[in-house]
Amino acid sequence: MLFKTKNTARAELPSTEPSANKEKAKACLREADKALKDLNFQAARNALGRAKELDPANPYLFAFEDRINHFEEEEQKKQAARRPFALPLQETIPQSESLPKTVNAEPTTPPPKRVEPRAPLPSQAPPVIEPFASTPRDVPKAANGFIAPPPIQEHVQPPPLKQRKTPEPARTEGPSSAPASAEVSTVLEDMRRQIEELSRSLEQEKKAREEISERQLQSAVKQFRVELEKAWVNGAPKEPEEDRLHQLASSLGISAEVEQSLTREVKLDMYSRAVKEMVSKRKLLRSSSSTLEWLRKVYRVSVAEYLENESKFLLDLVADQYKGTLLLVTEDEQMRKDLAGRLKAMGYAVVHAQAPEAALEKIEKVNPNLILCEKDFSNGSLSGLKFLNLLRVNPKFNFIPFVFFCRAADLSQLQSSELRPNEGIVQKPVDVDALNSVMNEKLNYFREYISSLA
Amino acid sequence: MGRLILLAEDDEDNRDLVEFVVMRGNLDIELLIAENGKQAVNLAVERNPELILMDMQMPVMDGYQAVAFLKGNETTRHIPIIAFTAQAKPEDKQRTREVGCAEHYTKPMDPEELLGLIKKYLDQSVRSSV
Repeated sequence: MLFKTKNTARAELPSTEPSANKEKAKACLREADKALKDLNFQAARNALGRAKELDPANPYLFAFEDRINHFEEEEQKKQAARRPFALPLQETIPQSESLPKTVNAEPTTPPPKRVEPRAPLPSQAPPVIEPFASTPRDVPKAANGFIAPPPIQEHVQPPPLKQRKTPEPARTEGPSSAPASAEVSTVLEDMRRQIEELSRSLEQEKKAREEISERQLQSAVKQFRVELEKAWVNGAPKEPEEDRLHQLASSLGISAEVEQSLTREVKLDMYSRAVKEMVSKRKLLRSSSSTLEWLRKVYRVSVAEYLENESKFLLDLVADQYKGTLLLVTEDEQMRKDLAGRLKAMGYAVVHAQAPEAALEKIEKVNPNLILCEKDFSNGSLSGLKFLNLLRVNPKFNFIPFVFFCRAADLSQLQSSELRPNEGIVQKPVDVDALNSVMNEKLNYFREYISSLA
Repeated sequence: MGRLILLAEDDEDNRDLVEFVVMRGNLDIELLIAENGKQAVNLAVERNPELILMDMQMPVMDGYQAVAFLKGNETTRHIPIIAFTAQAKPEDKQRTREVGCAEHYTKPMDPEELLGLIKKYLDQSVRSSV
């Protein structure tokens, strides 16, 4: 009704304008209509303004104005629904700063039908993560030389919103799309580099932490092992002592598995030492086997554990029992085999020579602690006595203990040959105990002689 | 503080072995060491141990003399003495009994046997004190 009244009133105004202006005003209204269809409200208003100037009595002017307002309002509602998070971004990043001027001239959100096809994006979608503040160089070092890692949150915290760049290559048109694409590539390259640096930094942190915890664990294990050795030195500890050790392990942060493993290790070690000590005194014991069985119980070593570690125990037994090097000079192969095995079992290293000549060649290299030699050799070799005389005249070898193997018939001949204190005789067939006794006697003499030189 | 035992033994290896065995016997023992009979007598009078292991062949004063002295002394008479010797003939055992030893233990030793003997006399000592 109101419209009708208005329109009627205007229609009644005297028609003084030339018809050309009316036509131009109509063209402006058509232009405004087109702009409105394109949702270019500013252009529509501009065209409407020109139509008003040319033909103020045009009955469609007010209708056009209402139409523009209505369409603009609808479009704003649509935009608000379409981009719920756009407002903060628009607030923090003025368009004039972030987008080229050509883009700025376009409406904030172009109508769907005018959207140009987006420029092809790189294969990786541009992440919104922006450079992190922390790089490997930023990681501070603690006094002990380790990298003191900053809290993880510092690394994973997203960057401030205002630092975000929102490259929108799709909005650029024509000649501006290529530079924008290059810019995106640069940004992506920066981001990739920063991610790599961050990964390296995190890896360093991880290593530093592992090293620290490993050192702490090593120190704790060392301390715990010392306590275990004290407790196990005389056999299995009593219950209160075991409880104390368990508490100590807990306080040192040693896991139950590690505690168990260490205890077993120390137990076997202590048992092995005890066995070694016992074996060295076996002559004072009634029975070695029952003594070892007793020790096994004292150290709570199960039969299975014993069998599992038997080779270790045996190796421990012989490990430091090296008594010296013997040069065995004999052409009797059976005797060599028998004696060499027995002597090795007693803790000696045995070097064999088949004849005195071969022995003379080896003696300098071997530097034996004692020489065991037959009295006679076949095939025109030097006799044992001649070999001994050669050694006596050589100041490098004349102090080496020397023991003859001889038959009973030869005993008197050798005894009359004025043997020195470092020289002895053992009758064949060789009794190993008798040989051992003579060897010990000569070696003791040798030790005393060396001590006197010192 | 463990229970006090006196070992009189002149041979170092034997002393070490007895010490080795006693320490592993789980008996909570404190071992006093004497290297001859005279030292043994002095230590026994001074410390009043619960048991004495006495080697019978020792320098300065042998085991027989030492045992005779200790059994003649009012303050040490009650202490049980184990003759700890290599002499295993019946007449040797008879002699050690006559001089006052409670037991005749023949070397070489057996650890479990020796510990059993020590435990037996320590238990007796507890009972008599109760």
